[in-house]
Amino acid sequence: MEDYDVRSAASILASVKEQEARFEQLTRALEEERRNVTLQLERANLPPNNPPTSQPLAWQQVVMQEQSPSNVTSLGMMQEPQEVVEETVTIEEDPGTPTSHVSVVTSDDGTTRRTETKDAAATLKVTKVVKTITRRTFHQPAAPSSASVSPRSRPASRSATPTATSLDGEPVTKMVKTVTTRTVRQVPLGPDGLPLPEGSSPLGSYTDSIDRRYVKNGGCGGGGGGFITPQATSTLTRSYNNSYGDSYGDATPDAPPYGRHYGLHDGYPELADGYGSLSRGLTYRPPRYPYMANSYRPENSYTLPIRKDDYGHVAQPQVPMGSSVLELNRSQPERFQPEPYGLEDDRRSLGPEEEEPYELEPDYSTANRRTLQGPSRGRTHREPLRDGPRVRGYPDEQVEAELIDERHPYIHGMYSAPLAQPERGSMASLDRMGGRRSPSIDSIRKDPRWRDPDLPEVIAMLGHPIDPVKSNAAAYLQHLCYENDKIKKDVRQLKGIPVLVGLLDHPKAEVHRKACGALRNISYGKDNDNKVAIKNCDGIPALVRLLRKTNDMEVRELITGTLWNLSSYEPLKMVIINHGLQTMTNEVIIPHSGWEHEPNEDSKPRDAEWTTVFKNTSGCLRNVSSDGAEARRRLRECEGLVDALLHALQSAVGKKDMDNKSVENCVCIMRNLSYHVHKEVPGAEKFQDPSGLQAPGSAGPQRKKKDDAGCFGGKKAKGRKNGENDKNYDTLDLPKRTEPTKGFELLYQPEVVRLYLSLLTESQNYNTLEAAAGALQNLSAGQWTWSNYIRATVRKEKGLPILVELLRSDSDKVVRAVAIALRNLSIDRRNKDLIGSYAMRDLVTNLPSGQQRPAKNLEEDTVVAILNTIHEIVTDSSENARSLIQAQAIEKLVAINRTSQSSRETKAASHVLQTVWSYKELRNALTKDGWNKSHFQPAVTVTPKITKNGKPGYDDTTLPLMEKNQDGYSTIDQRDKECKYKTSDGSADLTEREPLKNDTNRKHFIRSNRPAVSLVDACDVKPQPVDSWV
Amino acid sequence: MNHNDTLNHSPGQPLTAVVERIEIKKLHQGDNLIMGFSIGGGIDQDPAQNPFSQDKCDKGIYVTRITAKGPAELAGLMMGDKILQVNGWDMTMVTHDRARKRLTKKKEDVVRLLVTRKSLEDAVKKSMGPYQK
Repeated sequence: MEDYDVRSAASILASVKEQEARFEQLTRALEEERRNVTLQLERANLPPNNPPTSQPLAWQQVVMQEQSPSNVTSLGMMQEPQEVVEETVTIEEDPGTPTSHVSVVTSDDGTTRRTETKDAAATLKVTKVVKTITRRTFHQPAAPSSASVSPRSRPASRSATPTATSLDGEPVTKMVKTVTTRTVRQVPLGPDGLPLPEGSSPLGSYTDSIDRRYVKNGGCGGGGGGFITPQATSTLTRSYNNSYGDSYGDATPDAPPYGRHYGLHDGYPELADGYGSLSRGLTYRPPRYPYMANSYRPENSYTLPIRKDDYGHVAQPQVPMGSSVLELNRSQPERFQPEPYGLEDDRRSLGPEEEEPYELEPDYSTANRRTLQGPSRGRTHREPLRDGPRVRGYPDEQVEAELIDERHPYIHGMYSAPLAQPERGSMASLDRMGGRRSPSIDSIRKDPRWRDPDLPEVIAMLGHPIDPVKSNAAAYLQHLCYENDKIKKDVRQLKGIPVLVGLLDHPKAEVHRKACGALRNISYGKDNDNKVAIKNCDGIPALVRLLRKTNDMEVRELITGTLWNLSSYEPLKMVIINHGLQTMTNEVIIPHSGWEHEPNEDSKPRDAEWTTVFKNTSGCLRNVSSDGAEARRRLRECEGLVDALLHALQSAVGKKDMDNKSVENCVCIMRNLSYHVHKEVPGAEKFQDPSGLQAPGSAGPQRKKKDDAGCFGGKKAKGRKNGENDKNYDTLDLPKRTEPTKGFELLYQPEVVRLYLSLLTESQNYNTLEAAAGALQNLSAGQWTWSNYIRATVRKEKGLPILVELLRSDSDKVVRAVAIALRNLSIDRRNKDLIGSYAMRDLVTNLPSGQQRPAKNLEEDTVVAILNTIHEIVTDSSENARSLIQAQAIEKLVAINRTSQSSRETKAASHVLQTVWSYKELRNALTKDGWNKSHFQPAVTVTPKITKNGKPGYDDTTLPLMEKNQDGYSTIDQRDKECKYKTSDGSADLTEREPLKNDTNRKHFIRSNRPAVSLVDACDVKPQPVDSWV
Repeated sequence: MNHNDTLNHSPGQPLTAVVERIEIKKLHQGDNLIMGFSIGGGIDQDPAQNPFSQDKCDKGIYVTRITAKGPAELAGLMMGDKILQVNGWDMTMVTHDRARKRLTKKKEDVVRLLVTRKSLEDAVKKSMGPYQK
């Protein structure tokens, strides 16, 4: 494939033409073959009265053993069956494996019932898998076949509706229970309970032709022609649960009494359908399936769930697998069924696992998915698309996730194999092929006549006149590109990206969906050239257009996922804002946030829905929100965006559901939009606080006399604090509002403080914590009226102890954000006093002790932030400087000043030391401790500039962060936490201790303050255990 | 109960201890000499928060963490060990910082510790049968 680049357009064209010609030929040939096979099968089906009779026996036998009361249940949720596909699978395995009988009834509505029976005497040998599929709707001779295979299931499939209904009442839980007991192995029983001789299947003779040409194509749906499996020992009856309910009719309740069925979860037919015929062809299609040809219909071809195929693999691993999609297309283009992708249970089962690792990269990551896939990642998982959004286990999938959990207790161990053994087997065999990326390797194992197309051919097929060819080519590209940077690059260089982008506007859902899927995979990864290529052919507006146009959730997930990927590259951010901001807000953020522009008084406020689409979109906006002032302005002014985000967050707090990725994204956007809000918001100048500019943070002791708890209402806002006066500016009122606050104004209303504090209290997600602290930090920066309010509000809402507590976080970035927030908050004089008294020890604890390894290995930035915060706190407050000394900080500061490798740390420490030394009243105490002036001198030649004054707005705010998941906490920190002395009661003290006993100087302040915010009193609390590395 | 157990020992009281001598060669790491463990405790620390001490009044110096494969671990020091002496200096009645300084003298490449730990005491008691101090 390396030589693609050099291939001329002409040769590509030529090969395309050639392909097309061949394709047509094939199609014809296949049709013919199909007919032949059908006939054969029919013929074969009729006589085999043997199998029917014998089979039931064996089956019955086994089934009875495992009868489970619950198998009836799964159908409870299903709707009326309209169309029933019954599939009977006999699985034969190598001797020695435990046996089980599985019967699955598939009904198109999306219900799946599988009855599986374990056979204790599992030693029988089985070698074949036989599947029979019957579609009632099609009225074909198939029916008999199903009957012949398993009499039990036949009635079910025939009279699906009644049965289903009867089952309706059954509780789902039962079904779940059965699930857990299910065996993994398939049954190796002969028709009569005897071991089956290998190759006994009558099908053997023609399987080859079938699978290659026909079955692969998704002929699975093939009508019923039951073909005969004498050894239909284990019968899989599944009804597929199509959660989308799109094409399928109903549940097929059959064979209720015996075996267990895995009802809802098992086979999601959509899997089968949506997934490109590609995957089916490549991965799943067991080459030898004897699917009946006679009733072959396009629709049918896609109904077979993957799992079925998996059985096939198990049974016949030796058969070369994997025909490519393209091949499929060539042969059966008209079979293409444009159904949305469905859920796939085994993929979804990854959900729980995946939840934790948040995306490790800014991109919508396909990567993390992969890590979880373990054994199963073969081709199956190459298409991140499909498993991507679904797997995440976000609330929208909760139900399924639960089901999965119950059903597959073992699933956590082995990721994707609900049918453990057989699937594992099949997966394993897939794995063997998993290494292939090159489209053409497949063909080696196959009939040489059918080679897979190479990349230029695939790309050329994107322009094929027949739509299914296009869509399959796109799906195939998506598949090839999965985690393969080389192929992505090749696709780009072969100019495949503009073609894919062009397909986004294709009217057929299947085509634009697959194209979008391919683009999503291509856009993922570090290679920004791919992203640029998408942008250069106007891919972004095309995606946005499609987002407006489509209602298909899956497509929306793909679009937003692609946009998320694109948004991780700086130069594209503004493009995305220009084209997609309002659309994403209107189409996704607002509707999913639950916010309503004009709330209906009667209706309850809606909660946010943490859908994948919402997550993707918020992730995209999060990325673009970090693109500087203009980007922030655009987002702030985007109608409804801030309102919706705020609503979503409030809903998250209300539901105590604050650890998920969507919340994280929302908080990060809010944090970013709060950055420099005091400078950038229209009309900000009206609120500038002139007095603040003179002496920010050092404005004398403005102790409040009034009750802190007083609300903001009432007085006219003056927004002014008088430097050294004891004026009480806490009671300043907000400017009068003539109309309800909306839009960006919401960003800095004191009401948001409570929201952020709730997040800080409740969330376990470090990124969310950091962002919430960062938001407070941003809002409390600057000198304008609103930041005064914010600072006071944090105190009144008892936010200071919450922040101080977080200084002990294991996460470096949380500590840093909190430290800076405290620094900004201490611009407020009363906050400064409180923080000085109660936060000092925690701040000091975070400092490294000189040459020694610090308790936590905090980054330089964090150490500097803490030092700056300490500096701010001790500036203009000898009381706080005294607290600093009492916290035994001098030694650490001196050590940092003298020995730190970091000049920034040195400088910051030196500033603090100079400030401390400047308090003459403290020198006595310092000398007593053995310090002298030299310790407080800058060690390095630092300009002893203490920039105390006139720093307009302590804008040391966090720069909006890209979503970079540097996790900040190192494992050693975690260990530390466990090994360290337990501060069992330390934290509890935070809110309850009556501050202070003996420090007379501070008494008045405490008294006036009345522990509205009682931080820990340093004197009263047990000393924070010290732990020194040596 | 007799509080003369090493691990329950109150400073100033006579003491019978089952001790182990441990010699740690410091490792040069950049400009620093490290031993790869951390200490907690000291008379200026809250003894109640020491998870390793037998009774929560012990203000001794304890080994709180050990770096895997570090010099201390190689020398046989274990988490939870109580350090009785450092190069002959008493560690049962010192401030945390004093202990730290004793351990981190730059000119000393080797530190000799006298430590005790519960398992040592137990082993001795066991081998000696009923054992009364």
